[in-house]
Amino acid sequence: MSGDLGFIERINISSLTGFVHSTFRRTINIQCKENGELFTIASSQVDNGPNSLVINAASLDEFNIDVNEAVFVKNKMLFISNKLAIVIDKADKWESILPEYPSNTQNVIRNIKKMKEYIDNHGKAGGMKKKLSSQSPYETELSRLLEERTILLEKELLNNRLAHALQHAVSLIGLGPGLTPSGDDFLVGLFTTINLRNSPLYSQQSFCEEVVQRAKPLTNEISYMALKKASIGKVRESIIHLVHSILYGKESDLYLSLNKVLNIGSSSGTDIALGLICGLEANLRVGGQL
Amino acid sequence: MSKINELFNQKLNVINVGIESFKDDLLMQNTEVTHLEWTPPGRGNPDLIAALDLLDDPAIIEKIEAANKLAVERIINSQPVLIGFEKAIDCVPGMTKTTILHAGPPITWDKMNGPMRGAVTGAIVFEGLAKDLEEAAHLAASGEITFSPCHEHNCVGSMAGVTSASMYMHIVENKTYGNLAYTNLSEQLSKILRMGANDQSVIDRLIWMRDVFGPILSEAMKLNPDGIDLRLMLAQALHMGDECHNRNVAGTTLLIQALTPNILKTDFSMDQKIDVFEFVASSDYFSGPTWMALAKCALDAAHGIENSTIVTTMARNGTEFGIRVSGMAGNTWFTGPAQKVIGPMFAGYKPEDSGLDIGDSAITETYGIGGFAMATAPAIVALVGGTIEDAIGYSTNMKEITTSENPNVTIPLLNFMGIPTGIDVRKVVQTGILPIINTAIAHKEAGIGMIGAGITHPPVEAYEKALLALSENIK
Amino acid sequence: MTVQAIVKPNTYFDSVSLMSLSTKANQIDGVEQAIIAMGTEMNKEVMKNVGLMTPEVEVAKSSDLIIVVKAETDDLCESAFMSIDELFTKKDTSKGKSEIKYSTIASAAQGIPEANLAVIAVNGAYAPREARKALENNLHVMLFSDNVSIEDEIELKKLAHEKGLLMMGPDCGTAIIGNVALCFANAVRKGSIGIVGASGTGSQEVSVRIHEFGCGITQMIGTGGRDLREEIGGIMMLDGIKALEEDEATKVIVLISKPPAPSVEEKVLAQIKQCKKPVVVWFVGGNEEKVKQAGGHFAKMSKEAALKAVLLAGAEENKLNKRALNIPLIEEVRAKLTPEQKYIRGLFSGGTLCDEAMHTAMEKFDNVYSNIQRDPNYRLKDKNISQDHTFIDFGDDEFTQGKPHPMIDPSTRISRFIQEAKDPSVGVIVMDFVLGYGAHEDPVGAMLPAIMEVKQLAEQEGRHLEIIGYVLGTELDPQNLEEQVEKLLAAGVTRASSNQNAGLLAREFVVKGE
Repeated sequence: MSGDLGFIERINISSLTGFVHSTFRRTINIQCKENGELFTIASSQVDNGPNSLVINAASLDEFNIDVNEAVFVKNKMLFISNKLAIVIDKADKWESILPEYPSNTQNVIRNIKKMKEYIDNHGKAGGMKKKLSSQSPYETELSRLLEERTILLEKELLNNRLAHALQHAVSLIGLGPGLTPSGDDFLVGLFTTINLRNSPLYSQQSFCEEVVQRAKPLTNEISYMALKKASIGKVRESIIHLVHSILYGKESDLYLSLNKVLNIGSSSGTDIALGLICGLEANLRVGGQL
Repeated sequence: MSKINELFNQKLNVINVGIESFKDDLLMQNTEVTHLEWTPPGRGNPDLIAALDLLDDPAIIEKIEAANKLAVERIINSQPVLIGFEKAIDCVPGMTKTTILHAGPPITWDKMNGPMRGAVTGAIVFEGLAKDLEEAAHLAASGEITFSPCHEHNCVGSMAGVTSASMYMHIVENKTYGNLAYTNLSEQLSKILRMGANDQSVIDRLIWMRDVFGPILSEAMKLNPDGIDLRLMLAQALHMGDECHNRNVAGTTLLIQALTPNILKTDFSMDQKIDVFEFVASSDYFSGPTWMALAKCALDAAHGIENSTIVTTMARNGTEFGIRVSGMAGNTWFTGPAQKVIGPMFAGYKPEDSGLDIGDSAITETYGIGGFAMATAPAIVALVGGTIEDAIGYSTNMKEITTSENPNVTIPLLNFMGIPTGIDVRKVVQTGILPIINTAIAHKEAGIGMIGAGITHPPVEAYEKALLALSENIK
Repeated sequence: MTVQAIVKPNTYFDSVSLMSLSTKANQIDGVEQAIIAMGTEMNKEVMKNVGLMTPEVEVAKSSDLIIVVKAETDDLCESAFMSIDELFTKKDTSKGKSEIKYSTIASAAQGIPEANLAVIAVNGAYAPREARKALENNLHVMLFSDNVSIEDEIELKKLAHEKGLLMMGPDCGTAIIGNVALCFANAVRKGSIGIVGASGTGSQEVSVRIHEFGCGITQMIGTGGRDLREEIGGIMMLDGIKALEEDEATKVIVLISKPPAPSVEEKVLAQIKQCKKPVVVWFVGGNEEKVKQAGGHFAKMSKEAALKAVLLAGAEENKLNKRALNIPLIEEVRAKLTPEQKYIRGLFSGGTLCDEAMHTAMEKFDNVYSNIQRDPNYRLKDKNISQDHTFIDFGDDEFTQGKPHPMIDPSTRISRFIQEAKDPSVGVIVMDFVLGYGAHEDPVGAMLPAIMEVKQLAEQEGRHLEIIGYVLGTELDPQNLEEQVEKLLAAGVTRASSNQNAGLLAREFVVKGE
């Protein structure tokens, strides 16, 4: 069992009450009354993430937890109604910490190339990656808009004009299929790279926060939470591993960690990975190495 | 695209049979996998496997499936209705003054166990055929008394099942198929004839039942020309927490509620009526036999269908456990030794005091209630010595050896799943899963009575013999 | 044409479910287009652009799930909604079913409609029946069990062939389907090379070499060891080649087996001839000419097979590390061995690994004995007593009777190893250590105390005992490859980088006077 440091501390000081916001087979989201944020209880099959607690259960179905059930903390235990009690004193503490941007970017350039090829072959189409097979008019229009808007965004980023990039980033929010729309996932990847310490774009962090300020009405709460956390560099463990592999890893590390990310959601993982590539290329360009 | 190429493009979803570590390896690779609770079919006996294989021939399977479909349809569509109460001599086919019906497959006096002998001698005294128990035992051994299984006379009898000429019987009519079924009245309490008790108090009660209780019920039902729809009442009782074998609280309340207005309308005295109500109130078991008659009525309608492998009878005489199968028409019994019943005992008794499994009441499980419907009766999980999950598990587990679900009788806790219906001999032998039976425990000695309740299973031999016979019979 | 929409307020489904619902909704009869998506402003904009906007969608919030259906008539829309609702509820019922335990393949197949493959590992006496049940329920089968009669195998394979299903086995220990390793297989990269193998550890070896060369596997189909015998006629291998030929992801096909029966070889070669994709053939001890004539690419050894496959799959030769033999090492070891230390003792847990090493030795020596020698003159008279050059497959039936496979239980091999090490005529002992799913969690560790013991013994007796270890595995396997290799090196064992090299090194070490 393991959990996000902030989440565990919140339980330790008993400042969490709320209700169940949504339930899935492998995760349950809790809406916290104190700060309005979503917190996640995840099954052992899910990786660590910001505001997440991974518990030792393969599936959460068996607890039969319903939406709107009460959540509270007592004696350093987290209760969901009378159905689930989580003792956190044995939980490993985890914190989302992104690696530093390297001074030598040769590895990054090589790995990005490999990563692109891999996504071409194995990434999941339907979101940011275009579907090649026949599409309905809705899908065609969707991928047209996604493509058009990412190209505009990329162009501004590569030229380090983040003020211009803002509107294009916002135009991606809530766009696309899935629980977390593809546009949002792409931005999660992008934000991650802007939050890499020592990276050329690191100073432009406020860009992410500005985008997020406009995001709330444009997407659902679950996706919004992911964006909000990513805007300050807090992302899931699997994304951190991937970033680490890209920056410092061998080819085999890269594929392993990339595969884990590609397996997130349906097309979400692929969308996130493409967001990472976009951001890293912008970093390389701005840093004068591409 | 070929099926193999389809597989290449699908997410693997594996059924794992045998070595369990292969399942763990698949889980490690995030692959969906289901590990079977597998045991060698027919306990690994080559003859049985050969028989299963014979029955697996596509042409034969088709025949069996069609026959079983019909059999199960008949069980499900049967609408048993309680239409009256009469003395056995007046209604039961083949009944004579010197006939004693008993539970289970055929048995002779010399092989009967303690409780069965106690009940037989008590009944002989009750019928006035002997002046005391000693003389009764002598008579029973003499060959003057005709012993015959209840089941071979459209009857069922709980525990010893001993049924004699002047006992009052439920009469249950199958409104769908027209056949009738009978069973005698509950003696309530624990020190009773059917449990092997036979002292004067037992005989006196039987006399009162013959002279007052039976006649009042009989009169009352004559005032109710429509009869009482038992299937509807059973469905209701299950929704109220009975499994209608070992828990009959709700069913008894419903039954007496339906009988009461007409009991009040009869010409009997107020004191006699009060006695009747007090007697019914003295034990929850009053409706127990009623459900047995219902089950018998439905299952008889499904008996004798050529090529069917559906079990239509499970019954025990305290020495042997016998089953009958639809596809083996008439009175072909397949037997094995009666089993021990495991469960909590009344204070003062020990497991070694228990008589072996006895009674026709397993007809309820054959129909799909009792142990099969354990999930409806969480209140008696103590009987199973387990948790509510275990109880639910019993009901879902029985689906592995049954053919269908009865949509007329449902289990709320399992999302209103119908009770598991139509035990298939093939599936029992193939899976090694035996039907689960809730039942009472009688003392092994004659004359004592009920000392506990619990659960048991049939001997697998009965099913194996039936399978071998079926494989020879179905061509 | 009409467009209707339903909005489910505050409804969340995970993306994978949404995708699969959406795909299924589009397959419903009468539906021209169906969309299931979160009601964000941007998604609504897309709908507007393609004329799917309705008043309901207009007011939907970003936390609402919207379902839009376009169909010919209102009635069709209605019935589509009903079917979509069913899809949603189906998901709900499947929730509760995870608890259900199944006792038969038939009931499990019925209860889990998504099930597509049965892995069967029960006693051989019951195995054919279970396999047949699986095929009858349209499940592909991997039959791990051995001791299945040849008649049963024929029947099962014919049934599977008719139904277009995989019938891998009996006695099939290795397969990789959809990148998932089944029974005994290694974790290898996904790639463009497909394998059909009648030899379990042979397939494992080639898949691991391909992985090491930086390429990967699409599918690895096991056929069971007898598939290419006269009676079976190669049913599974022929079907496997066909399936891989039709598989888009597969660019190169590799076949692995002992030499087939002549009539079967003909069929396989005929299929290679008409196959549109390049086929690499490694028939252990097989004939090069025939394969070449059929247009196939012949490989004499395992690494060679992997190398040919990756080159055909587009790998650049000059970038590969082919791990050539360490020639100076050979000289060094030869110098250490006395003239009496003449013989190789190969102690293998993998049958094909043993076979390959044995064939390597047979190229230079006549007196090569084994429990799996095809020539009865060179079969060991007593499997427990070695003779001249001896290669033992501990996975062969006579060693596994009533015992687990040596890849799981190394005990038999350990005691034999000590016995061989004491023999003064032995120059080199060569052993395989197989990693991967299903295999022992620490095969090297299990052998280590024995290695230490004999090394010490040999030292006391003043002779050098050369031990070659080959660890078959990848860095992705559940065991730690690096750690296993380090343990070997620390114990003074010579590490071979492939089974091919293990066989060659063993042979070269004991060649005298070249």
